[in-house]
Amino acid sequence: MESVTDIEQRMQSARRAFEELRAEMGRFIVGHDELIEQVFIALVCGGHCLLEGVPGLGKTLMVRSLGEILSLSFSRIQFTPDLMPADITGTNVLSDDPSGRKIFEFQRGPVFAHIVLADEINRATPKTQSALLEAMQEQSVTVGGKLHRLENPFMVLATQNPIEMEGTYPLPEAQVDRFFFKLLLQYPNREELGRIADLTTAAPPAPPRDVLDAAGIMQIRQWVREVPLAEVVKDYAVRIVMGTHAGEAKRNGAISAQKFVLYGSSPRGLQSLILAAKARALLQGRPNVSFEDIRVMVAPSLRHRLILNLEADAEGIGAETILAEVLERVAEVP
Amino acid sequence: MSPEVEILVKKFSALLRWERRKRREQVCATASSYALAAALLALPFYAFLRAPGSRWMIPIVLFMLLAPVLFFKRRWRREDSARALARVDQTLRLEERAITAWELIERNDSRPTAQLVLKQAAEKLKTLDPAALFRRRWHWHHMVALPLLVLWLALMGFDIDRQFDSGLLPSAIPTTAHRLREYSRELQERAKSEGLRESLGLGKELEKVAQKSIDAKTADDRFKKDLVATSQKVEAMGKSAAEQPSFSAGESRQSLRDLKAELETARELLKFPEAANTEEKLAQQWLDRLAGMPQLKRQFDKENQAGQKLSQNALQSFLDRLDKQATGELDRRALLEAQQFLEQLMKQGQGEKGEHSVRVPAGNEQDGSGDGEKMRTHSNLPGKEPGKKEAGFQSLPQFPAGAPARVKGALGEGESSGVVFKGKPAPGKSELSQEEVIATYRRQAEAELNSERVPEALKETIKNYFMSLGQSETKK
Repeated sequence: MESVTDIEQRMQSARRAFEELRAEMGRFIVGHDELIEQVFIALVCGGHCLLEGVPGLGKTLMVRSLGEILSLSFSRIQFTPDLMPADITGTNVLSDDPSGRKIFEFQRGPVFAHIVLADEINRATPKTQSALLEAMQEQSVTVGGKLHRLENPFMVLATQNPIEMEGTYPLPEAQVDRFFFKLLLQYPNREELGRIADLTTAAPPAPPRDVLDAAGIMQIRQWVREVPLAEVVKDYAVRIVMGTHAGEAKRNGAISAQKFVLYGSSPRGLQSLILAAKARALLQGRPNVSFEDIRVMVAPSLRHRLILNLEADAEGIGAETILAEVLERVAEVP
Repeated sequence: MSPEVEILVKKFSALLRWERRKRREQVCATASSYALAAALLALPFYAFLRAPGSRWMIPIVLFMLLAPVLFFKRRWRREDSARALARVDQTLRLEERAITAWELIERNDSRPTAQLVLKQAAEKLKTLDPAALFRRRWHWHHMVALPLLVLWLALMGFDIDRQFDSGLLPSAIPTTAHRLREYSRELQERAKSEGLRESLGLGKELEKVAQKSIDAKTADDRFKKDLVATSQKVEAMGKSAAEQPSFSAGESRQSLRDLKAELETARELLKFPEAANTEEKLAQQWLDRLAGMPQLKRQFDKENQAGQKLSQNALQSFLDRLDKQATGELDRRALLEAQQFLEQLMKQGQGEKGEHSVRVPAGNEQDGSGDGEKMRTHSNLPGKEPGKKEAGFQSLPQFPAGAPARVKGALGEGESSGVVFKGKPAPGKSELSQEEVIATYRRQAEAELNSERVPEALKETIKNYFMSLGQSETKK
């Protein structure tokens, strides 16, 4: 049985691994510190991320760098309207066996990697998008009636462009709900732009160093789930999730939630929120979850789970505004 | 139990004990404020409290009523403990280590991760002093208790609540003490007007007893018990007075009063300048005047059956003696009446009978007219037998509204008065003697002449007129 000292050591090693990852990522990506942390949290929680940002902000670079630093296999799928499900999952092809007989052999698709970048996911048809559903949820694909397990850890990082909506197929709500986090990429500031210019127009940096392997990630995943969570803190998370529902919002007086929310967060939202809070506590070197962990993880965990009405769209009200109000209204201890 | 857990249990207990104590103090302060505010608002209604000193208990009673409600409403719950621990985390920036440790101890969680939380929490909380970290915080509804108490004590000190008594009590059922006070005041007035020394003293004493009971808000039953001693005293006074009756029981109080009025008139007669003349003239003048004073004449005739000579001194001493006797008799009867009143007051259930039911004349008194307060109805008009309806009786004619028949008096400058008649008096022979009527008129005239409403210049004329009434009738 582990002692308290062992726990302290493993917490330190998790924290160290994260610090190294951040430092190594910093050599290739300028800024986006918070984003890197959230992606790592999603990874150690076994979740998938939906990245939303205008083109050229370094989405693809970040995901590829992450794959390289973590010594994980990485594949990129550029989603287009003519992309077929088999292009993602793989297909059975006819080939000759050693005896010369014709057999069907399964040719793995790009989904068979630790980290999959689904670039511009909303450009593919719903049929193709749904091919990812099984992979994301079950971590397996079925081709020709045969189940094929994906490797651990498995993470899908999908990107979508929020401004170019023509010829796109917005993701169905069920599929959006399967993403652990929805992360927004902000435009870099002046200083960051300068550094980007320096970094990309000078000699390329040295290849990335491996800081964590698949086994290490799986180990951290297990530690995350062992972080103690007080009932009071859990209740706080529950009340926040409940606060996104119109009925509960009426009770706690969150006006925007009452007015603009059509459907509040699903239970998956609560699961993501608590798990992410635990992971954050661990990465912060803390043995327990705090109210602050919950507060910080509310936006990435819940923003894509709120279904807003047309009035919100017309008034330019986003999920962030509503979640901020809910956080204001919900007390830590009732 | 690990040392960390021991430290934490001790610290958490100290913290929660301190927070509960603060809560209790706050609830007490709030209840005190509300009780005192309610006591101040209820100040006008203290008059309804009967028990002596009970008004001082009102805030305590209100506090006793409010405190359980507030204690129940603000009872310590699990959320309060969680809130207190969350405050510790927030104040010491423990990032919820304290509250997590508290729950882990409750759950008896022995996992290594839980032990790490307990270890870290114990390190940070071992120097915790809850009383120093979380001092008492008072809000306005706690702090207002003291000023309210001072205000209430000041108002009670100045007996402000008693100033409402007169406004509220008359509307309530009058207590025995109130009735006694009223009666004693009436007795004093009557004693003053008739010069009854004993009755005046008794009236004052009764008023004192009644007032004391009203001030102390003594309960009716208790007051009646207290009255026994007073009643016995009055009884003793009445008995001693009854041993020396000067007049027969047949003498009504009214006739005694008339006698006293006639005695006054007779004294005036003795002061006349012609009183200094010869004894014959004086005797003649005295006998002439005596004809208009029936009560005095009757007494004089009883005394002077031998037909003694009348000297001024003899007359003076006769009048003095008679006056003393009449006053003594009236005093005696007043005492007897008071005694009877007290007896009936003690027997009577509160509010069951009206005051008039106890205002009965003394048993040996045959005074039908009482104090002359009887309603002037058709049956007790002069010449009518009370209660007997005559055959030819018709109700008096009603004058049309707005046109009253008014008999004008001799009007001069200043205030004037007139009499409104409802109709003609019914014909018939009066049963009252003329002497009695004249004596009554004279007495009323005497009383009116003493008031300032009658001009000084006319007083003598009026007096002479009423004196001459009796004489002219006698001459006829």
